[in-house]
Amino acid sequence: MNELKIALQSLKMSVRTRMQYRVDSLVATLAVFIRESANIIVIYLALLKFDNINGWNVNEMLFLFSLLFLTYAFVVSLFADLRDFSRMIREGRFDRLMVRPRGLLFQLILNNADLMASAGHGTLGILLFLISAGKVGICWDFATILYYLGAIIGGVLLQGGMFIFFSSLSFYFLETNSLREIFYWNMRKFAGYPISIYHKLIQGLLIYVVPFAFVNYFPAQYLLRKPDLINYNEIYIYIAPLVGIAVYLSSYLFWRVSVRRYYSTGN
Amino acid sequence: MENIIEIQGVKKYYKIAKREKGTFMALATLFNRKYETKKAVDDISFSIKPGEIVGFIGPNGAGKSTTVKMLSGILYPDAGTIKINGFIPYKQRKQYVKNIGVVFGQKSQLNWDLPLIESFELMKYIYRIPQKQYEENLDLFIQLLDMEDFINQPVRQLSLGQRMRGDIVASLLHSPQIVFLDEPTIGLDVVAKERIREFVRYMNQIRHTTIIFTTHDMQDIEKVCDRLIMIDKGKKVYDGSIQEIKNKYANFKSIELLLEDGSKELKTFDVSVTPMSAVMEQLFSEKKIKDITICESEIEDIIRDIYEGRVVLAQPEAERN
Amino acid sequence: MRAYVEFAVKKFQDKMAYRLDFFMGIVNTAITILVYLCIYKALYGDAGEVDGISYPMVATHFVITLGLSNAFHYNEMFLQDKIRDGTITNEFLKPVSFILRLLAENIGEGAFKIIFHFIPALLITLLYTKLCPPVSLLGLPVMFCSVALGYLILWLISFIIQTWSFWLFSVWGIITIKNVFVSILSGSLLPLWFMPEPLQKILSFTPFESIYFTPVRIYLGELSGRETVFALAVQAMWVALLCVIANMFWKKGTKKLIVQGG
Repeated sequence: MNELKIALQSLKMSVRTRMQYRVDSLVATLAVFIRESANIIVIYLALLKFDNINGWNVNEMLFLFSLLFLTYAFVVSLFADLRDFSRMIREGRFDRLMVRPRGLLFQLILNNADLMASAGHGTLGILLFLISAGKVGICWDFATILYYLGAIIGGVLLQGGMFIFFSSLSFYFLETNSLREIFYWNMRKFAGYPISIYHKLIQGLLIYVVPFAFVNYFPAQYLLRKPDLINYNEIYIYIAPLVGIAVYLSSYLFWRVSVRRYYSTGN
Repeated sequence: MENIIEIQGVKKYYKIAKREKGTFMALATLFNRKYETKKAVDDISFSIKPGEIVGFIGPNGAGKSTTVKMLSGILYPDAGTIKINGFIPYKQRKQYVKNIGVVFGQKSQLNWDLPLIESFELMKYIYRIPQKQYEENLDLFIQLLDMEDFINQPVRQLSLGQRMRGDIVASLLHSPQIVFLDEPTIGLDVVAKERIREFVRYMNQIRHTTIIFTTHDMQDIEKVCDRLIMIDKGKKVYDGSIQEIKNKYANFKSIELLLEDGSKELKTFDVSVTPMSAVMEQLFSEKKIKDITICESEIEDIIRDIYEGRVVLAQPEAERN
Repeated sequence: MRAYVEFAVKKFQDKMAYRLDFFMGIVNTAITILVYLCIYKALYGDAGEVDGISYPMVATHFVITLGLSNAFHYNEMFLQDKIRDGTITNEFLKPVSFILRLLAENIGEGAFKIIFHFIPALLITLLYTKLCPPVSLLGLPVMFCSVALGYLILWLISFIIQTWSFWLFSVWGIITIKNVFVSILSGSLLPLWFMPEPLQKILSFTPFESIYFTPVRIYLGELSGRETVFALAVQAMWVALLCVIANMFWKKGTKKLIVQGG
């Protein structure tokens, strides 16, 4: 299959590129790992003093975090070009994709993989999962594992969809980094905590606007059933994997409409 | 013969935000921003036949790259029609670009850290080039462009000329019928330029590829192209053969004056309108002249004179209809 | 001096060119404050005080710290980029000190963030939550001195690491790691009050405590007159020490650059 060959060739190129800067790649991976660990260290230290946060203990918190990191490891290896899309537009590199006979999103997704970020997030995610998964009282039977995998895939699609959405905004606005900063990066940071602790406004944002709650909170709730679930409609924990698909598809449609603007303005 | 490229009354306008000076004004633009319109391309028409090789020139900001972008399907025109190879580029992008090749001289498409061959392999899959055709083209291009020595070196170690050759190969591996070369010789030395020109001529003569070539270097145009399209301030100012423009302006003479105060002046005259004797008479009566040099106009001078407004080009009658 | 003020003002104006950034900066800061106050509230639960620290004190600590760390947010890769593309040598030809110019520009950027992002966000925050007022009017100017010293400590640490780009291929990784250390050890994420005792002891011997924690404690009136003087002296000592180190790296680095021609 031709598409697969493109994917393999792109991956081979990404790996070979990184191999040329071995030390730098290693330091970068480590830096990502340490940077992302900061939040974990802080929550760990805080729970030494405060014991729990709205009923969630340390291990449950680590499990909640692990879903964020595991999904992001896939997101950043697939959607790296969409993460840096406004720069791509500014530097005129998007023009190149337009003169190739392939779908634009297809090329963007295959083009580039941020392997260091992926390794950093992935390692941390696996580590947190290993530490916490056995201690939070989940019975890992077939149905649970199936749900868990579905939730991971849904989480990847959901965040990929958000990257596509924010990239589409680059066709309308010159600078979209500040929007991304608030609505992606910060919201993702906030999603590390059980969303029930937040002001209603923030909860609304995390469920209906930038639905990170479906990446980790609701899937974790399906498995953990903490008492604060009572604040939400229980259906949310069952549809969590589907929300990712819905977000991805609607972002894709928005992209299709928005990319037309590039034809009219260029960069 | 049927035209392969046909563009009619094409316009492209941009809206540009004004940036105000001073702290207070900058603060004001936070709330109320003003725009102005720039006419990048303003009513351009031309047509090109299969196998033609056309030089496309104009000063910076004349609208060259906007035009190339419209031709390659990256932008659509605000008005007018573009039909190339039976396609409307911006409407049928994926189908259309299968048969074109684009080289952006200022923006490499090669992977910076890897040998050329890796980027070529990727092209093979992206354009679905059959293995046999891929190998034939690659062998031929490597030989023609003399690339054996550096095909396995990372691109970042290559000279600009070597890199440009790599970029051209990457854009032509799929044997496109139409090729847009956007300043492929920019910043190269004489030898490197010559090598690229030879290759472009070869592709045109042997493969009958239709080529549009933008450049700032008139040597490129003289040595490679049959036909010249010149645009300025978004409008077409000349469209015809190189020979024609030379003949037409053979009567133009440039005179360099060295004045007694040491300053120099360059004047251009049409000697078919004002005879040389009259010109001289007038000059000597007006100025204190120390020395005088009369130069035949080279194509480069003519072009410069046109850009700088010293010569106003009238379009040939036939072209107006 | 006038030249450096100009640099700061110029940077300030540059920042105003981006309209969306401007409004989003306010929203971003306001949301961040709201979220962290929620987190602290959830941690406190029903407890009135933990280790003698009340929720309003923690909230105040967080808001001040966020304001200061906002001000300290600029492109830390600047020096590396200048060294990589070789334009650093042009800087040596100019009749102004490169270091002071950098500091002035960073302060200009910080001032922008404080005035246009932080203060509006702070006003929004005050609508829905109570923060501790300053303990006394006299405390305020003393606190500002302390803030300035804290800023310098943070800036010098960053600058020292930036100078390592004279020797290293990329300092991005090290800068990232440094920022993690600063954000945890200075108490900007979890106030130092709540750190384990031994860690608190160790931190009192590092510059991290002097960055945000000292100004906040002065603001809250946690320190007596004598303790305040001592804390300011400690801050000044760190500034002096870091200045010496920064200067050393800068001299060695520029020397290496000139000897080896980049």
